[in-house]
Amino acid sequence: MRRLLRSEWTKLWSVRRWAIAMFGMIALTVVFIVLTSNSGSSNANDYPDFVVGPTGRPVTDEFEFVHQSLTGDGSVTARVATQTNSHEWAGAGVIMKDGVKSGSRYTALMVTPSHGVRLSSDYYTTVDGGSAGAPQWLRLTRSGTSISGYRSADGVTWQQVGTVDAHRLPATIEVGLFVSSPEALKVERSAGGTSVSGHATQGEATFDGVRIESAQARPDQSWIGTALFRPLTPAQQADVDRAKAQPQGQRKPSGGGPGTFRESNGTFTVFGSGAIGPREPADDMVEYALFSTFLGLLAILAVGVLFITSEYRRGLIRTTFAATPARGRVLAAKAVVIGGSSFVIGLVACVVAIVIGFPNMKRHGLAPPAYPTPSLTEGTTVRAILLTSAFVALVALFGLGVGTIMRRSAGAITTVIALVILPVFVAVPLPLSTAQWLLRLTPAGGLAAERAKPPSIEVAEPWATISPWVGIGAVAAYAAVALAVGTWLIRRRDTA
Amino acid sequence: MTRTLRAEWVKLRTVPSTAWLVLAAVAFTVALGALVATGTSTEHCPTPSTCDSDTTKLSLIGVHLGQLTLAVLGVIAMTNEYATRLIHVTLTAMPHRIAVWAAKTTLVAAVGLTVGALSVAGSLLAAGRILPHNGFTAAQGYAQLSLADEPTRRAAIGTVLYLGLIALLSLGVAAIVRDTAGSISVVLALLYIAPMARLMVSDPRWQHRIDKYAPMTAGLSVQATRGLGSLAIGPWAGLGVLACYAAGALLLGAVLFKVRDA
Repeated sequence: MRRLLRSEWTKLWSVRRWAIAMFGMIALTVVFIVLTSNSGSSNANDYPDFVVGPTGRPVTDEFEFVHQSLTGDGSVTARVATQTNSHEWAGAGVIMKDGVKSGSRYTALMVTPSHGVRLSSDYYTTVDGGSAGAPQWLRLTRSGTSISGYRSADGVTWQQVGTVDAHRLPATIEVGLFVSSPEALKVERSAGGTSVSGHATQGEATFDGVRIESAQARPDQSWIGTALFRPLTPAQQADVDRAKAQPQGQRKPSGGGPGTFRESNGTFTVFGSGAIGPREPADDMVEYALFSTFLGLLAILAVGVLFITSEYRRGLIRTTFAATPARGRVLAAKAVVIGGSSFVIGLVACVVAIVIGFPNMKRHGLAPPAYPTPSLTEGTTVRAILLTSAFVALVALFGLGVGTIMRRSAGAITTVIALVILPVFVAVPLPLSTAQWLLRLTPAGGLAAERAKPPSIEVAEPWATISPWVGIGAVAAYAAVALAVGTWLIRRRDTA
Repeated sequence: MTRTLRAEWVKLRTVPSTAWLVLAAVAFTVALGALVATGTSTEHCPTPSTCDSDTTKLSLIGVHLGQLTLAVLGVIAMTNEYATRLIHVTLTAMPHRIAVWAAKTTLVAAVGLTVGALSVAGSLLAAGRILPHNGFTAAQGYAQLSLADEPTRRAAIGTVLYLGLIALLSLGVAAIVRDTAGSISVVLALLYIAPMARLMVSDPRWQHRIDKYAPMTAGLSVQATRGLGSLAIGPWAGLGVLACYAAGALLLGAVLFKVRDA
């Protein structure tokens, strides 16, 4: 097998045209990353829909907060009696927070209309507390450097939901009740692009049995209602001032204010809008960088096809099979050589695209805090790079398989392009669900692997709306079937 | 000339791949159009009666697959003669090369237009039956796909011509390159590199230029029946751009066919 591999390796790399095509993929990637990363721009930092969270990443932190202050260890307990279903992710529960400034650290325990009990901390940590909704007793207990969440159906037997680290919270914090209800997003797609519009929803919940316990003696306080909103940037403020004539539709400006809640006989009714959590823009810098490898796929798939069809064309296949009568092993050796080579070429292209692309993108507005520059060693970035290289390799293998089946370069190249490239153009003008199915069922879905952020329907490109694993699975299935059929045919056919 | 035409027709007709490619081109075009029509409904629209989907264009989307098949057909019509050395016999029997070239061009155009007419008719018929089941009914205020409608007629005729031009462009390229795999690669590159680049560049000026001057994007603007104002180039002008590419390839092919040794 080693000699077989070496002979196939020699065949691949001694044809100068193929070597040029393989390295051409890297060259094409460089050309396109330079072009694309310098031509786009973003004003996401001038018109943010986020606040900067405690770790510098963009987050959203808007809700209605009914609070008192607490110093040192203690707990807050309440029963969420009712919650309206204003949004599947609406939240109602108890919270401990570093002040009332949007974007500060917190730990919250809430019920949601459709996603059960959740413990959430500092935007990026969530613990699933099981599927239960209102009415539900909730309790947060601060003890030393951690906060624990408990829930109870009856207020007697408590079940721990989880414990989160809270050593960065100051000694004195605000604790109390909160209600949130995210914007309802409406995504409309047409051939020209995607428009995302959101309209605010208002959540409503009633609480009773509200109790704050403190390890230290604490003075009596009255409840304060604060609505948390993000402050406007100077650019947004200027727009608001200009649009004063028609104030409808503008977001409430900034910085908190009196909230809306009612209390009678220990029962609190709280109204709130907004959400608490990460607010990363849907646009993905890793995806933008890696997409510059797209045109190079043409070169790679052509080499994959020609690697076998040119042997048929020149009659070299007879010599090959005379030297190695085990034909399946010849094809396997070809697959290892072309698959391995294109994986490495793809890997280099991906890394080059990111290294060249990120600094350029940063200069053109894709900069922190809206776009924290992803690190090359971050898990999701590494996954995107490896899966994209795998996509390149699988396209080459699919080409090899189709080439083996058809034996003619022209038909095979056309077939591979029809399945790998063409669906991309057909998918763009289609309704989303049809486009998604087209991409799940063709190797073109492999483009989904380029995305590092989770799939999002808010982006214009339909391949970024399906899971990378589903996408790469489709290509792998096509490559595997083509190679299996090719192996079967090559064994039972006459050589030429 | 009739004898030259007849000779070329016999050659084209008796290559088994021709019949298969014609069948495949029509079948692929209609099938893809029908699939897409099946997946298009009024569900995703703001309200069931306010869809602004360009249903004509969506019904004809199968042209993406049909054109690949026709490109192969157009290329093979020329390169097959070189691959089998039949070209020596052809040119010995018919030394007047321009007549041979004219006959080939005529036949490939005829086949391309026939495939185009069948594909477009099939696609519109299929989509016309499917779309009303998905909410695009006359009762909801949607115009039914019909050639009586001027934009739809333009899209239909334009698509037939588009497919004819793709076949001719491929023939021209094949006469220049003379090798099957090479010609196919050049045609596919001509068609797809610009639109692929368009997806990658985010600069609207460049996107506009590509839409306007690339053979595939410009040519397919003839399919638009809605939102003509947002097109980079008018429907007929766009088809004209593709015609220029095809004419250029045919002309260069004719000159090279005339002056080069076979």
